[in-house]
Amino acid sequence: MLTLEGVSKHFGGLTAVREVSLQVRAGDLLGIIGPNGAGKTTLFNVIAGYYRPEAGRVVLEGRNVTGLPPHAISRLGLTRTFQIVKPFGNLSVLENVMIGALSPLPSTRQARAEAERVIAVCGLGLHAHARARALPLALRKRLEVARALATHPRLLLLDEVMAGLNPTELVGMVDLVRRLHADGLTIIVIEHIMAAMMRLAQRIVVLHHGEKIAEGTPQEIASDRRVVDAYLGEDFSLAEA
Amino acid sequence: MRWLAPGRAAAALLFAGAAVVPLLSRDSFFLDSVILILLWGSLSAAWNVAGGYAGQVSLGHAAFFGIGAYAAALASARYEQSPWLGLAVGVLLSIVAGALIGYLSNRLKGPYFALSTIAFAEVLKIVASRWRGFTAGSEGIPVPYRPGFWTLGLDHVAWLYLALTLALVCYGLQVYLEKSRVGYRLAGVREDEDAAEALGIATRRLKVAAVMLSAALTAVGGSLWAQYVGFVDPAHVFSIDLSIRFALNSIIGGMGTALGPFLGSVLITMLETYLRATFSGMKAGFSGIYLIIYGTVLILVVRFAPEGVTGLADRVWRRRGAARAEAA
Repeated sequence: MLTLEGVSKHFGGLTAVREVSLQVRAGDLLGIIGPNGAGKTTLFNVIAGYYRPEAGRVVLEGRNVTGLPPHAISRLGLTRTFQIVKPFGNLSVLENVMIGALSPLPSTRQARAEAERVIAVCGLGLHAHARARALPLALRKRLEVARALATHPRLLLLDEVMAGLNPTELVGMVDLVRRLHADGLTIIVIEHIMAAMMRLAQRIVVLHHGEKIAEGTPQEIASDRRVVDAYLGEDFSLAEA
Repeated sequence: MRWLAPGRAAAALLFAGAAVVPLLSRDSFFLDSVILILLWGSLSAAWNVAGGYAGQVSLGHAAFFGIGAYAAALASARYEQSPWLGLAVGVLLSIVAGALIGYLSNRLKGPYFALSTIAFAEVLKIVASRWRGFTAGSEGIPVPYRPGFWTLGLDHVAWLYLALTLALVCYGLQVYLEKSRVGYRLAGVREDEDAAEALGIATRRLKVAAVMLSAALTAVGGSLWAQYVGFVDPAHVFSIDLSIRFALNSIIGGMGTALGPFLGSVLITMLETYLRATFSGMKAGFSGIYLIIYGTVLILVVRFAPEGVTGLADRVWRRRGAARAEAA
């Protein structure tokens, strides 16, 4: 469904992403992990069209989308969320999600109905009429997911939707992502929280200094010497404990 | 979007009130005030399409106003054609100008966008002042008065209804921008461009389109104003004072609301007229004092009602609603 071929992205002399290749098949739930500055979000920005890579290609369902603007890529069925949440702050939760739903749908009435459905799926039903700006972080993260979901993507890119959540909220979010995946959505998740990722993803790609250093099932990743040395180390033993 | 039912009722009252004015009074000073309130309100609503709804805050809308004013004035004074023809030309030129500035300033945000629009209006002002062979330069153009609708030589009552028609069109358009698909998407662009892009919205194209529409309406207002006042000169029609006036009406009334620009126009036009009438008769040294009071009032409004009058009313309304709910 999505193929990256040798994608590189530089900022001046700094190489944020170096020759990353990976494959996502329809129905996958792929996790991307790596320490701060490993290039995870940069990779998302390249995939979703926010950055143009210096080298390599991004192919979505057989179509080369490298260099297309984000809105065009979104219309092709790939929608992302933002690590630093970007709600339409002065609008209500319902209006936020409606704007997403208005991409595939032509009328505001249909979009409102669809937004209400998505809001319920994402557990935001009680807050439909709250101003987005007034929501606590956990709900703003959910709003990111809801808004993206309303565009009817076939591939959803979730950028650290679990960061900053307390344990209860975290369980709720893991559950939501699982349900979306079970409903047939293909998902790529960037995450910092190892424990959650280990339980969630079918396959994990590890980035370190912009390079892909490992790929495999959570078990393979956990036992991969390079990964443990390069990145997991202390963090991971904590997560295991 | 938040300011719904009471706002619509207030607007209906405002426009109905304007419509019955000629039945009550034929005093030309009074009629003139109402006409100007409607014209400035419409022009501010036109500004609001870009500044309030699309978040493209311009301080150079006098550029489009001036283009409209000059097109109409030149059509009737120089070419002895109908000013309506000039209006059409002015609208087309303004759309082109709006596309140009919208496209060129696309990546600029906030104050940088505003500065680029000021520069644009200043350039047009200089062109209009120096191109003497065509525009008569800074002397300006007196617009000949030829009675009739086609020549826009109208009496005060007819002007009032013409201005009211423009106001209703502008108001209706804003309501459409609150209710429609494109309006919601525009709100997304205003609130966060990156997020809007992620949802499949072509943000650059939408922003330019909003500026073009806003420019076209502003040119209509400029053409009508030129015919109504009967004189056009570059120092006024391209002035930053005018640009600020369009923005200020909306900011005082409530940006991004359909009623806001008209409410702002009522308040500011009345305040200005009152202050000028009250204080201009004083000794020479005090003749400018109305500007100081005017400025002070504006500062107070921006300090205590930053969301404008509609925002303030909305807050009061909600608080009362909450209090009533609590009492029940």
